[in-house]
Amino acid sequence: MQDKIKKTWFITGASKGLGLAIVKQLLAAGQNVAATSRNIASLTTAVGTTHKNFLPIQANLADDTSVKQAIAETNTTFGSIDVLINNAGYGIGGSLEELTDAEVRTAFDVNVFGTINTIRHVLPYMRQQQSGHIINIASIAGFTAGTGWAPYAATKFAIVGLTEVLADDVRAFGIKATVVAPGAFRTNFLNDDSLAIPQNPIADYADVRASHQHYLTMNGNQAGDPEKAAAVMIEAGFNPNPPVHLFLGTDAYTRALAKIESLTNEIELLKDITTSTDY
Amino acid sequence: MSTNKTWFITGASKGFGLLFVQQLLAKGDNVAATSRNISDLEKAAGTHPNFLPLEVDLTNEQSVATAINTTVAKFGKLDVVVNNAGYGLLGTLEELSDAESRGNFEVNVFGLLNVIRQAMPHLRAQGSGHIFNISSIGGFTGNFPGFGIYCATKFAVTGLSESLAAEVKEFGINVTIVLPGYFRTNFLEAGSLAVPKNSIDAYRSTRDSQQAHQNDINGNQAGDPEKGVAKIIKVAEEANPPLYLFLGSDALNLAHAKIAAVDTEIAAWRAVSVSTDF
Repeated sequence: MQDKIKKTWFITGASKGLGLAIVKQLLAAGQNVAATSRNIASLTTAVGTTHKNFLPIQANLADDTSVKQAIAETNTTFGSIDVLINNAGYGIGGSLEELTDAEVRTAFDVNVFGTINTIRHVLPYMRQQQSGHIINIASIAGFTAGTGWAPYAATKFAIVGLTEVLADDVRAFGIKATVVAPGAFRTNFLNDDSLAIPQNPIADYADVRASHQHYLTMNGNQAGDPEKAAAVMIEAGFNPNPPVHLFLGTDAYTRALAKIESLTNEIELLKDITTSTDY
Repeated sequence: MSTNKTWFITGASKGFGLLFVQQLLAKGDNVAATSRNISDLEKAAGTHPNFLPLEVDLTNEQSVATAINTTVAKFGKLDVVVNNAGYGLLGTLEELSDAESRGNFEVNVFGLLNVIRQAMPHLRAQGSGHIFNISSIGGFTGNFPGFGIYCATKFAVTGLSESLAAEVKEFGINVTIVLPGYFRTNFLEAGSLAVPKNSIDAYRSTRDSQQAHQNDINGNQAGDPEKGVAKIIKVAEEANPPLYLFLGSDALNLAHAKIAAVDTEIAAWRAVSVSTDF
Protein backbone atom coordinates (compact mmCIF):
# COMPACT_ATOMS: atom_id res chain seq x y z
CA MET A 1 0.00 0.00 0.00
CA GLN A 2 3.10 2.28 0.21
CA ASP A 3 2.40 3.71 -3.23
CA LYS A 4 -1.14 4.80 -2.37
CA ILE A 5 -2.12 8.43 -2.09
CA LYS A 6 -2.40 9.61 1.52
CA LYS A 7 -6.00 9.81 2.66
CA THR A 8 -7.66 10.72 5.92
CA TRP A 9 -9.74 7.94 7.42
CA PHE A 10 -12.32 8.15 10.21
CA ILE A 11 -12.95 4.80 11.90
CA THR A 12 -15.51 4.20 14.65
CA GLY A 13 -15.31 1.49 17.28
CA ALA A 14 -11.56 1.23 16.92
CA SER A 15 -10.36 -0.19 20.24
CA LYS A 16 -10.84 -3.83 19.18
CA GLY A 17 -11.97 -6.17 16.43
CA LEU A 18 -12.21 -5.12 12.82
CA GLY A 19 -11.89 -1.44 13.73
CA LEU A 20 -8.56 -1.94 15.46
CA ALA A 21 -7.23 -4.10 12.63
CA ILE A 22 -8.13 -1.39 10.11
CA VAL A 23 -6.51 1.37 12.19
CA LYS A 24 -3.23 -0.53 12.61
CA GLN A 25 -2.96 -1.44 8.94
CA LEU A 26 -3.68 2.14 7.87
CA LEU A 27 -1.09 3.62 10.22
CA ALA A 28 1.50 1.09 9.07
CA ALA A 29 0.83 2.33 5.54
CA GLY A 30 1.36 5.97 6.48
CA GLN A 31 -2.29 7.00 6.20
CA ASN A 32 -3.98 9.64 8.38
CA VAL A 33 -6.29 8.02 10.88
CA ALA A 34 -8.87 9.47 13.21
CA ALA A 35 -10.40 6.75 15.36
CA THR A 36 -13.12 6.73 17.98
CA SER A 37 -13.87 4.74 21.06
CA ARG A 38 -16.11 5.26 24.10
CA ASN A 39 -12.91 5.12 26.15
CA ILE A 40 -9.85 6.87 24.81
CA ALA A 41 -7.47 5.02 27.13
CA SER A 42 -8.44 1.60 25.80
CA LEU A 43 -8.05 2.98 22.28
CA THR A 44 -4.57 4.39 22.71
CA THR A 45 -3.46 1.29 24.62
CA ALA A 46 -4.79 -1.00 21.89
CA VAL A 47 -3.29 0.95 19.01
CA GLY A 48 -0.07 1.41 20.95
CA THR A 49 1.28 4.43 19.16
CA THR A 50 1.46 8.18 19.44
CA HIS A 51 2.16 8.52 15.74
CA LYS A 52 1.48 12.02 14.43
CA ASN A 53 -0.84 10.56 11.79
CA PHE A 54 -3.05 9.09 14.51
CA LEU A 55 -5.84 11.08 16.17
CA PRO A 56 -7.62 9.11 18.90
CA ILE A 57 -11.00 10.56 19.85
CA GLN A 58 -13.33 9.71 22.69
CA ALA A 59 -16.85 9.92 21.32
CA ASN A 60 -20.36 8.82 22.19
CA LEU A 61 -21.65 7.88 18.76
CA ALA A 62 -25.31 8.03 19.80
CA ASP A 63 -24.80 11.68 20.74
CA ASP A 64 -25.13 13.91 17.69
CA THR A 65 -23.06 16.71 19.22
CA SER A 66 -20.24 14.38 20.24
CA VAL A 67 -20.05 13.03 16.70
CA LYS A 68 -20.14 16.50 15.13
CA GLN A 69 -17.21 17.55 17.29
CA ALA A 70 -15.21 14.43 16.50
CA ILE A 71 -15.57 14.96 12.77
CA ALA A 72 -14.81 18.67 12.97
CA GLU A 73 -11.67 17.91 14.98
CA THR A 74 -10.59 15.39 12.34
CA ASN A 75 -11.03 17.85 9.51
CA THR A 76 -9.17 20.54 11.42
CA THR A 77 -6.28 18.18 12.21
CA PHE A 78 -5.83 16.60 8.80
CA GLY A 79 -7.46 19.10 6.40
CA SER A 80 -9.95 16.64 4.94
CA ILE A 81 -11.98 13.50 5.56
CA ASP A 82 -11.75 11.02 2.74
CA VAL A 83 -13.02 7.70 4.02
CA LEU A 84 -15.54 7.11 6.79
CA ILE A 85 -15.73 3.56 8.11
CA ASN A 86 -18.74 2.99 10.35
CA ASN A 87 -17.52 -0.06 12.20
CA ALA A 88 -18.80 0.41 15.76
CA GLY A 89 -21.52 -2.04 16.65
CA TYR A 90 -22.24 -5.11 18.72
CA GLY A 91 -24.23 -8.29 18.58
CA ILE A 92 -27.46 -8.72 20.51
CA GLY A 93 -29.24 -12.02 20.77
CA GLY A 94 -32.67 -12.85 22.08
CA SER A 95 -36.26 -13.11 20.95
CA LEU A 96 -38.33 -9.97 20.40
CA GLU A 97 -40.43 -10.87 23.42
CA GLU A 98 -37.45 -11.30 25.75
CA LEU A 99 -35.56 -8.16 24.90
CA THR A 100 -36.92 -5.01 26.44
CA ASP A 101 -37.64 -1.75 24.67
CA ALA A 102 -34.55 -0.32 26.41
CA GLU A 103 -32.28 -3.18 25.32
CA VAL A 104 -33.39 -2.82 21.71
CA ARG A 105 -33.06 0.96 21.70
CA THR A 106 -29.52 0.72 23.03
CA ALA A 107 -28.63 -1.60 20.17
CA PHE A 108 -30.12 0.85 17.67
CA ASP A 109 -28.26 3.73 19.32
CA VAL A 110 -24.90 2.19 18.52
CA ASN A 111 -25.60 0.07 15.45
CA VAL A 112 -27.84 2.51 13.58
CA PHE A 113 -28.14 6.02 14.99
CA GLY A 114 -24.39 6.27 15.56
CA THR A 115 -23.83 5.50 11.89
CA ILE A 116 -26.49 7.98 10.79
CA ASN A 117 -24.87 10.63 13.01
CA THR A 118 -21.41 10.19 11.52
CA ILE A 119 -22.80 10.28 8.00
CA ARG A 120 -24.83 13.41 8.72
CA HIS A 121 -21.70 15.24 9.86
CA VAL A 122 -19.19 13.94 7.36
CA LEU A 123 -21.28 14.75 4.29
CA PRO A 124 -20.86 18.55 4.35
CA TYR A 125 -17.08 18.04 4.18
CA MET A 126 -17.26 15.37 1.50
CA ARG A 127 -19.68 17.40 -0.60
CA GLN A 128 -17.38 20.38 -0.47
CA GLN A 129 -14.45 18.14 -1.43
CA GLN A 130 -16.57 16.59 -4.19
CA SER A 131 -15.09 13.29 -3.10
CA GLY A 132 -15.29 10.73 -0.33
CA HIS A 133 -16.23 7.17 0.51
CA ILE A 134 -18.59 6.01 3.24
CA ILE A 135 -18.19 2.37 4.24
CA ASN A 136 -20.82 0.99 6.59
CA ILE A 137 -20.16 -2.32 8.25
CA ALA A 138 -23.41 -4.28 8.54
CA SER A 139 -23.41 -8.09 8.68
CA ILE A 140 -24.60 -11.11 6.75
CA ALA A 141 -27.40 -10.90 9.33
CA GLY A 142 -28.38 -7.68 7.57
CA PHE A 143 -29.17 -9.69 4.46
CA THR A 144 -30.46 -12.94 5.88
CA ALA A 145 -31.52 -13.15 9.51
CA GLY A 146 -30.92 -16.20 11.69
CA THR A 147 -33.05 -17.58 14.51
CA GLY A 148 -32.61 -15.71 17.77
CA TRP A 149 -31.03 -12.53 16.45
CA ALA A 150 -34.09 -10.49 15.51
CA PRO A 151 -33.11 -7.09 16.92
CA TYR A 152 -29.55 -7.47 15.62
CA ALA A 153 -30.92 -8.34 12.19
CA ALA A 154 -33.18 -5.30 12.40
CA THR A 155 -30.22 -2.99 13.03
CA LYS A 156 -28.10 -4.54 10.29
CA PHE A 157 -30.89 -4.68 7.68
CA ALA A 158 -31.41 -0.99 8.43
CA ILE A 159 -27.76 -0.24 7.63
CA VAL A 160 -28.02 -2.12 4.34
CA GLY A 161 -31.15 -0.20 3.37
CA LEU A 162 -29.87 3.25 4.21
CA THR A 163 -26.58 2.57 2.40
CA GLU A 164 -28.36 1.56 -0.80
CA VAL A 165 -30.23 4.86 -0.83
CA LEU A 166 -27.18 6.84 0.28
CA ALA A 167 -25.16 5.54 -2.68
CA ASP A 168 -27.72 7.10 -5.02
CA ASP A 169 -28.18 10.32 -3.03
CA VAL A 170 -24.49 11.25 -2.97
CA ARG A 171 -23.30 9.94 -6.33
CA ALA A 172 -23.58 13.36 -7.99
CA PHE A 173 -21.04 14.76 -5.52
CA GLY A 174 -18.40 12.18 -6.36
CA ILE A 175 -19.05 10.37 -3.07
CA LYS A 176 -19.31 6.59 -2.87
CA ALA A 177 -21.12 4.38 -0.38
CA THR A 178 -20.55 0.72 0.39
CA VAL A 179 -22.17 -1.63 2.89
CA VAL A 180 -19.97 -4.50 4.02
CA ALA A 181 -21.69 -7.70 5.16
CA PRO A 182 -19.23 -9.91 7.01
CA GLY A 183 -19.93 -13.44 8.10
CA ALA A 184 -18.31 -14.77 11.27
CA PHE A 185 -14.86 -13.31 11.99
CA ARG A 186 -12.50 -14.20 14.79
CA THR A 187 -12.88 -11.08 16.94
CA ASN A 188 -14.36 -10.32 20.38
CA PHE A 189 -17.83 -10.18 18.84
CA LEU A 190 -19.10 -13.30 20.63
CA ASN A 191 -17.32 -12.58 23.92
CA ASP A 192 -19.28 -11.95 27.12
CA ASP A 193 -18.22 -8.33 27.24
CA SER A 194 -19.30 -7.66 23.66
CA LEU A 195 -22.32 -9.81 22.90
CA ALA A 196 -25.54 -8.68 24.57
CA ILE A 197 -28.04 -11.30 25.69
CA PRO A 198 -31.43 -10.75 27.33
CA GLN A 199 -31.47 -9.69 30.95
CA ASN A 200 -34.67 -11.71 31.36
CA PRO A 201 -34.60 -14.71 29.03
CA ILE A 202 -37.70 -16.86 28.61
CA ALA A 203 -36.78 -20.53 28.77
CA ASP A 204 -39.65 -21.54 26.46
CA TYR A 205 -37.76 -20.11 23.48
CA ALA A 206 -35.89 -23.37 22.91
CA ASP A 207 -34.93 -22.65 19.30
CA VAL A 208 -33.49 -19.27 20.25
CA ARG A 209 -31.44 -20.79 23.07
CA ALA A 210 -30.20 -23.56 20.75
CA SER A 211 -29.17 -21.03 18.11
CA HIS A 212 -27.21 -19.00 20.65
CA GLN A 213 -25.51 -22.13 21.99
CA HIS A 214 -24.44 -23.01 18.48
CA TYR A 215 -22.94 -19.58 17.88
CA LEU A 216 -21.17 -19.49 21.23
CA THR A 217 -19.41 -22.79 20.52
CA MET A 218 -18.02 -21.07 17.45
CA ASN A 219 -16.35 -18.37 19.53
CA GLY A 220 -12.62 -18.41 18.96
CA ASN A 221 -13.01 -20.65 15.92
CA GLN A 222 -14.72 -18.31 13.51
CA ALA A 223 -13.52 -18.90 9.96
CA GLY A 224 -12.96 -15.25 9.12
CA ASP A 225 -9.57 -13.55 9.50
CA PRO A 226 -10.11 -9.97 10.67
CA GLU A 227 -6.73 -8.88 9.27
CA LYS A 228 -7.77 -10.00 5.79
CA ALA A 229 -11.16 -8.33 6.17
CA ALA A 230 -9.47 -5.10 7.20
CA ALA A 231 -7.17 -5.22 4.17
CA VAL A 232 -10.11 -5.76 1.85
CA MET A 233 -12.02 -2.83 3.33
CA ILE A 234 -8.99 -0.58 3.02
CA GLU A 235 -8.63 -1.60 -0.63
CA ALA A 236 -12.30 -0.74 -1.13
CA GLY A 237 -11.60 2.68 0.37
CA PHE A 238 -9.06 3.29 -2.41
CA ASN A 239 -11.20 1.83 -5.16
CA PRO A 240 -12.73 4.47 -7.48
CA ASN A 241 -15.48 1.96 -8.36
CA PRO A 242 -16.38 0.18 -5.16
CA PRO A 243 -19.42 -2.07 -4.92
CA VAL A 244 -22.55 -1.03 -3.03
CA HIS A 245 -22.72 -4.44 -1.30
CA LEU A 246 -19.61 -6.37 -0.29
CA PHE A 247 -20.03 -9.74 1.39
CA LEU A 248 -16.98 -10.95 3.33
CA GLY A 249 -16.34 -14.57 4.17
CA THR A 250 -17.23 -17.81 2.44
CA ASP A 251 -20.04 -18.26 4.95
CA ALA A 252 -21.50 -14.86 4.08
CA TYR A 253 -21.17 -15.50 0.37
CA THR A 254 -22.86 -18.89 0.66
CA ARG A 255 -25.67 -17.67 2.89
CA ALA A 256 -26.34 -14.68 0.61
CA LEU A 257 -26.77 -16.92 -2.41
CA ALA A 258 -29.00 -19.33 -0.47
CA LYS A 259 -31.22 -16.44 0.63
CA ILE A 260 -31.50 -15.16 -2.93
CA GLU A 261 -32.47 -18.59 -4.19
CA SER A 262 -35.14 -19.29 -1.58
CA LEU A 263 -36.61 -15.80 -1.85
CA THR A 264 -36.69 -15.97 -5.64
CA ASN A 265 -38.67 -19.21 -5.37
CA GLU A 266 -41.12 -17.75 -2.87
CA ILE A 267 -41.66 -14.67 -5.02
CA GLU A 268 -42.34 -16.88 -8.04
CA LEU A 269 -44.84 -19.01 -6.14
CA LEU A 270 -46.82 -15.93 -5.09
CA LYS A 271 -46.54 -14.03 -8.36
CA ASP A 272 -50.26 -14.19 -9.12
CA ILE A 273 -51.32 -12.74 -5.78
CA THR A 274 -48.59 -10.10 -6.01
CA THR A 275 -49.77 -8.83 -9.38
CA SER A 276 -53.48 -8.97 -8.54
CA THR A 277 -53.69 -5.74 -6.54
CA ASP A 278 -53.31 -3.10 -9.27
CA TYR A 279 -56.32 -1.06 -10.34
CA MET B 1 -71.05 -21.35 13.30
CA SER B 2 -67.96 -20.00 11.51
CA THR B 3 -64.87 -19.54 13.57
CA ASN B 4 -64.51 -15.79 13.44
CA LYS B 5 -61.10 -14.38 14.21
CA THR B 6 -60.01 -11.55 16.43
CA TRP B 7 -57.71 -9.04 14.78
CA PHE B 8 -55.55 -6.25 16.25
CA ILE B 9 -54.78 -3.54 13.66
CA THR B 10 -52.56 -0.51 14.28
CA GLY B 11 -52.83 2.79 12.43
CA ALA B 12 -56.48 2.26 11.57
CA SER B 13 -57.89 5.75 11.03
CA LYS B 14 -56.95 5.79 7.34
CA GLY B 15 -55.25 3.91 4.53
CA PHE B 16 -54.73 0.18 4.74
CA GLY B 17 -55.61 0.17 8.45
CA LEU B 18 -59.07 1.58 7.94
CA LEU B 19 -59.76 -0.80 5.07
CA PHE B 20 -58.83 -3.73 7.30
CA VAL B 21 -61.40 -2.57 9.84
CA GLN B 22 -64.10 -2.22 7.20
CA GLN B 23 -63.43 -5.47 5.35
CA LEU B 24 -63.02 -7.56 8.49
CA LEU B 25 -66.20 -6.31 10.14
CA ALA B 26 -68.05 -7.00 6.90
CA LYS B 27 -66.94 -10.62 7.00
CA GLY B 28 -67.96 -11.03 10.63
CA ASP B 29 -64.60 -10.96 12.40
CA ASN B 30 -63.76 -9.13 15.62
CA VAL B 31 -61.58 -6.08 15.22
CA ALA B 32 -59.57 -4.12 17.76
CA ALA B 33 -57.98 -1.13 16.04
CA THR B 34 -55.69 1.64 17.20
CA SER B 35 -55.15 5.28 16.38
CA ARG B 36 -53.37 8.15 18.12
CA ASN B 37 -56.74 9.88 18.23
CA ILE B 38 -59.84 7.87 19.01
CA SER B 39 -62.27 10.38 17.55
CA ASP B 40 -60.51 10.19 14.16
CA LEU B 41 -60.92 6.46 14.31
CA GLU B 42 -64.55 6.47 15.40
CA LYS B 43 -65.41 9.07 12.79
CA ALA B 44 -63.78 7.02 10.05
CA ALA B 45 -64.85 3.54 11.09
CA GLY B 46 -68.17 4.12 12.80
CA THR B 47 -69.48 1.76 15.47
CA HIS B 48 -70.14 -1.98 15.40
CA PRO B 49 -70.64 -4.56 18.15
CA ASN B 50 -67.52 -6.45 17.00
CA PHE B 51 -65.40 -3.30 16.77
CA LEU B 52 -63.16 -2.05 19.57
CA PRO B 53 -61.56 1.32 18.80
CA LEU B 54 -58.53 2.07 20.94
CA GLU B 55 -56.60 5.28 21.47
CA VAL B 56 -52.97 4.22 21.65
CA ASP B 57 -49.55 5.82 21.58
CA LEU B 58 -47.61 2.99 19.99
CA THR B 59 -44.30 4.40 21.19
CA ASN B 60 -45.48 4.06 24.79
CA GLU B 61 -45.26 0.43 25.81
CA GLN B 62 -47.74 0.80 28.65
CA SER B 63 -50.31 2.25 26.26
CA VAL B 64 -49.74 -0.73 23.97
CA ALA B 65 -49.99 -3.24 26.82
CA THR B 66 -53.31 -1.77 27.92
CA ALA B 67 -54.65 -1.95 24.37
CA ILE B 68 -53.69 -5.59 23.86
CA ASN B 69 -54.97 -6.66 27.24
CA THR B 70 -58.26 -4.84 26.69
CA THR B 71 -58.60 -6.61 23.35
CA VAL B 72 -58.08 -10.07 24.82
CA ALA B 73 -60.38 -9.28 27.74
CA LYS B 74 -63.18 -8.24 25.38
CA PHE B 75 -62.88 -10.89 22.68
CA GLY B 76 -61.34 -13.76 24.65
CA LYS B 77 -58.44 -14.32 22.23
CA LEU B 78 -56.09 -12.73 19.73
CA ASP B 79 -55.67 -14.40 16.36
CA VAL B 80 -54.11 -11.92 13.99
CA VAL B 81 -51.91 -8.89 14.65
CA VAL B 82 -51.38 -6.43 11.81
CA ASN B 83 -48.57 -3.96 12.45
CA ASN B 84 -49.70 -1.39 9.92
CA ALA B 85 -49.00 1.98 11.56
CA GLY B 86 -46.14 3.87 9.96
CA TYR B 87 -45.34 6.87 7.83
CA GLY B 88 -43.04 7.92 5.02
CA LEU B 89 -40.10 10.28 5.51
CA LEU B 90 -38.22 11.89 2.66
CA GLY B 91 -34.86 13.60 3.13
CA THR B 92 -31.17 12.78 2.81
CA LEU B 93 -29.17 11.69 5.85
CA GLU B 94 -27.50 15.11 5.89
CA GLU B 95 -30.74 17.09 5.72
CA LEU B 96 -32.68 15.25 8.37
CA SER B 97 -31.91 16.09 11.97
CA ASP B 98 -31.20 13.43 14.57
CA ALA B 99 -34.72 13.97 15.94
CA GLU B 100 -36.40 13.73 12.52
CA SER B 101 -34.50 10.51 11.73
CA ARG B 102 -35.19 8.89 15.08
CA GLY B 103 -38.84 9.94 14.82
CA ASN B 104 -39.40 7.65 11.86
CA PHE B 105 -37.95 4.70 13.78
CA GLU B 106 -40.15 5.50 16.76
CA VAL B 107 -43.34 4.54 14.98
CA ASN B 108 -42.16 2.31 12.16
CA VAL B 109 -39.89 0.12 14.30
CA PHE B 110 -40.08 0.66 18.07
CA GLY B 111 -43.88 0.98 18.05
CA LEU B 112 -44.11 -2.22 16.04
CA LEU B 113 -41.78 -3.96 18.48
CA ASN B 114 -43.90 -2.81 21.43
CA VAL B 115 -46.93 -4.46 19.87
CA ILE B 116 -45.07 -7.70 19.24
CA ARG B 117 -43.59 -7.76 22.72
CA GLN B 118 -47.02 -7.33 24.29
CA ALA B 119 -48.88 -9.67 21.96
CA MET B 120 -46.45 -12.59 22.15
CA PRO B 121 -47.34 -13.85 25.65
CA HIS B 122 -50.98 -14.19 24.56
CA LEU B 123 -50.10 -15.88 21.27
CA ARG B 124 -47.71 -18.29 22.96
CA ALA B 125 -50.28 -19.20 25.58
CA GLN B 126 -52.76 -19.95 22.79
CA GLY B 127 -50.25 -21.88 20.75
CA SER B 128 -51.51 -20.06 17.68
CA GLY B 129 -51.60 -16.72 15.95
CA HIS B 130 -50.42 -14.80 12.91
CA ILE B 131 -48.41 -11.60 12.85
CA PHE B 132 -48.42 -9.46 9.70
CA ASN B 133 -45.77 -6.76 9.65
CA ILE B 134 -46.43 -4.18 6.96
CA SER B 135 -43.00 -3.33 5.59
CA SER B 136 -42.67 -1.87 2.08
CA ILE B 137 -40.98 -2.55 -1.22
CA GLY B 138 -38.69 0.13 0.25
CA GLY B 139 -37.90 -2.44 2.93
CA PHE B 140 -36.40 -4.70 0.29
CA THR B 141 -34.70 -2.32 -2.11
CA GLY B 142 -33.24 1.13 -1.55
CA ASN B 143 -34.14 2.21 -5.08
CA PHE B 144 -35.84 5.37 -3.75
CA PRO B 145 -33.68 8.51 -3.83
CA GLY B 146 -34.14 10.55 -0.71
CA PHE B 147 -35.87 7.83 1.27
CA GLY B 148 -32.84 6.51 3.16
CA ILE B 149 -34.27 6.76 6.66
CA TYR B 150 -37.67 5.39 5.67
CA CYS B 151 -36.01 2.49 3.84
CA ALA B 152 -33.83 1.86 6.89
CA THR B 153 -36.94 1.56 9.08
CA LYS B 154 -38.64 -0.77 6.62
CA PHE B 155 -35.53 -2.86 6.03
CA ALA B 156 -35.40 -3.21 9.83
CA VAL B 157 -39.00 -4.45 9.87
CA THR B 158 -38.22 -6.93 7.12
CA GLY B 159 -35.14 -8.24 8.91
CA LEU B 160 -36.67 -8.57 12.36
CA SER B 161 -39.68 -10.33 10.84
CA GLU B 162 -37.49 -12.96 9.19
CA SER B 163 -35.96 -13.74 12.53
CA LEU B 164 -39.28 -13.52 14.37
CA ALA B 165 -40.78 -16.07 12.00
CA ALA B 166 -38.06 -18.55 12.89
CA GLU B 167 -38.21 -17.94 16.63
CA VAL B 168 -41.99 -18.35 17.03
CA LYS B 169 -42.46 -21.32 14.76
CA GLU B 170 -42.16 -23.72 17.67
CA PHE B 171 -45.20 -22.07 19.27
CA GLY B 172 -47.42 -22.54 16.22
CA ILE B 173 -47.32 -18.85 15.34
CA ASN B 174 -46.95 -17.59 11.77
CA VAL B 175 -45.30 -14.39 10.58
CA THR B 176 -45.75 -12.68 7.21
CA ILE B 177 -43.86 -9.65 5.93
CA VAL B 178 -46.03 -7.57 3.61
CA LEU B 179 -44.06 -5.47 1.10
CA PRO B 180 -46.43 -3.21 -0.82
CA GLY B 181 -45.41 -1.12 -3.79
CA TYR B 182 -47.21 2.18 -4.39
CA PHE B 183 -50.86 2.09 -3.29
CA ARG B 184 -53.39 4.88 -3.61
CA THR B 185 -53.69 5.91 0.05
CA ASN B 186 -52.84 9.10 1.97
CA PHE B 187 -49.23 7.92 2.28
CA LEU B 188 -47.83 10.69 0.05
CA GLU B 189 -50.22 13.41 1.23
CA ALA B 190 -48.86 16.48 2.98
CA GLY B 191 -50.29 15.38 6.30
CA SER B 192 -48.63 11.98 6.09
CA LEU B 193 -45.34 12.18 4.19
CA ALA B 194 -42.77 13.97 6.33
CA VAL B 195 -40.06 16.09 4.72
CA PRO B 196 -36.97 17.83 6.19
CA LYS B 197 -37.40 21.07 8.08
CA ASN B 198 -34.10 22.22 6.58
CA SER B 199 -33.66 20.85 3.09
CA ILE B 200 -30.45 21.31 1.10
CA ASP B 201 -31.12 22.35 -2.46
CA ALA B 202 -27.91 20.82 -3.78
CA TYR B 203 -29.40 17.35 -3.39
CA ARG B 204 -31.06 17.54 -6.79
CA SER B 205 -32.04 13.89 -7.11
CA THR B 206 -33.76 14.04 -3.74
CA ARG B 207 -35.54 17.31 -4.59
CA ASP B 208 -36.67 15.75 -7.88
CA SER B 209 -37.82 12.66 -6.02
CA GLN B 210 -39.72 14.85 -3.54
CA GLN B 211 -41.36 16.75 -6.38
CA ALA B 212 -42.33 13.57 -8.19
CA HIS B 213 -43.76 11.89 -5.13
CA GLN B 214 -45.75 14.86 -3.84
CA ASN B 215 -47.07 16.04 -7.19
CA ASP B 216 -47.02 13.26 -9.78
CA ILE B 217 -47.21 9.96 -7.97
CA ASN B 218 -49.57 11.08 -5.21
CA GLY B 219 -53.10 10.19 -6.26
CA ASN B 220 -51.87 8.17 -9.22
CA GLN B 221 -50.43 5.14 -7.49
CA ALA B 222 -51.14 1.91 -9.36
CA GLY B 223 -52.11 -0.13 -6.36
CA ASP B 224 -55.71 -0.50 -5.22
CA PRO B 225 -55.65 -0.60 -1.43
CA GLU B 226 -59.00 -2.40 -1.27
CA LYS B 227 -57.49 -5.28 -3.24
CA GLY B 228 -54.26 -5.15 -1.25
CA VAL B 229 -56.02 -5.52 2.07
CA ALA B 230 -58.32 -8.23 0.70
CA LYS B 231 -55.28 -10.26 -0.38
CA ILE B 232 -53.68 -10.01 3.05
CA ILE B 233 -56.91 -11.14 4.69
CA LYS B 234 -56.99 -14.09 2.30
CA VAL B 235 -53.41 -15.03 3.15
CA ALA B 236 -54.39 -15.06 6.83
CA GLU B 237 -56.67 -17.98 6.06
CA GLU B 238 -53.88 -20.15 4.68
CA ALA B 239 -52.55 -23.09 6.66
CA ASN B 240 -48.99 -22.44 5.45
CA PRO B 241 -48.79 -18.71 4.82
CA PRO B 242 -45.74 -17.20 3.12
CA LEU B 243 -43.00 -15.29 4.91
CA TYR B 244 -42.57 -12.66 2.17
CA LEU B 245 -45.68 -11.18 0.51
CA PHE B 246 -44.93 -8.55 -2.12
CA LEU B 247 -48.01 -6.63 -3.27
CA GLY B 248 -48.23 -4.79 -6.58
CA SER B 249 -46.71 -5.29 -10.03
CA ASP B 250 -44.33 -2.46 -9.29
CA ALA B 251 -43.17 -4.26 -6.16
CA LEU B 252 -42.62 -7.45 -8.15
CA ASN B 253 -40.56 -5.66 -10.77
CA LEU B 254 -38.49 -3.81 -8.22
CA ALA B 255 -37.91 -7.04 -6.26
CA HIS B 256 -36.67 -8.80 -9.39
CA ALA B 257 -34.42 -5.87 -10.26
CA LYS B 258 -32.92 -5.80 -6.77
CA ILE B 259 -32.23 -9.52 -6.80
CA ALA B 260 -30.63 -9.31 -10.23
CA ALA B 261 -28.45 -6.38 -9.20
CA VAL B 262 -27.23 -8.05 -6.01
CA ASP B 263 -26.64 -11.32 -7.88
CA THR B 264 -24.47 -9.51 -10.41
CA GLU B 265 -22.54 -7.70 -7.73
CA ILE B 266 -21.98 -10.85 -5.67
CA ALA B 267 -20.63 -12.62 -8.75
CA ALA B 268 -18.36 -9.72 -9.68
CA TRP B 269 -16.86 -9.58 -6.19
CA ARG B 270 -16.87 -13.31 -5.43
CA ALA B 271 -13.10 -13.68 -5.39
CA VAL B 272 -12.78 -10.91 -2.82
CA SER B 273 -15.66 -12.26 -0.73
CA VAL B 274 -14.12 -15.69 -0.32
CA SER B 275 -10.59 -14.38 0.24
CA THR B 276 -10.96 -13.48 3.90
CA ASP B 277 -11.10 -16.90 5.59
CA PHE B 278 -8.09 -18.08 7.59
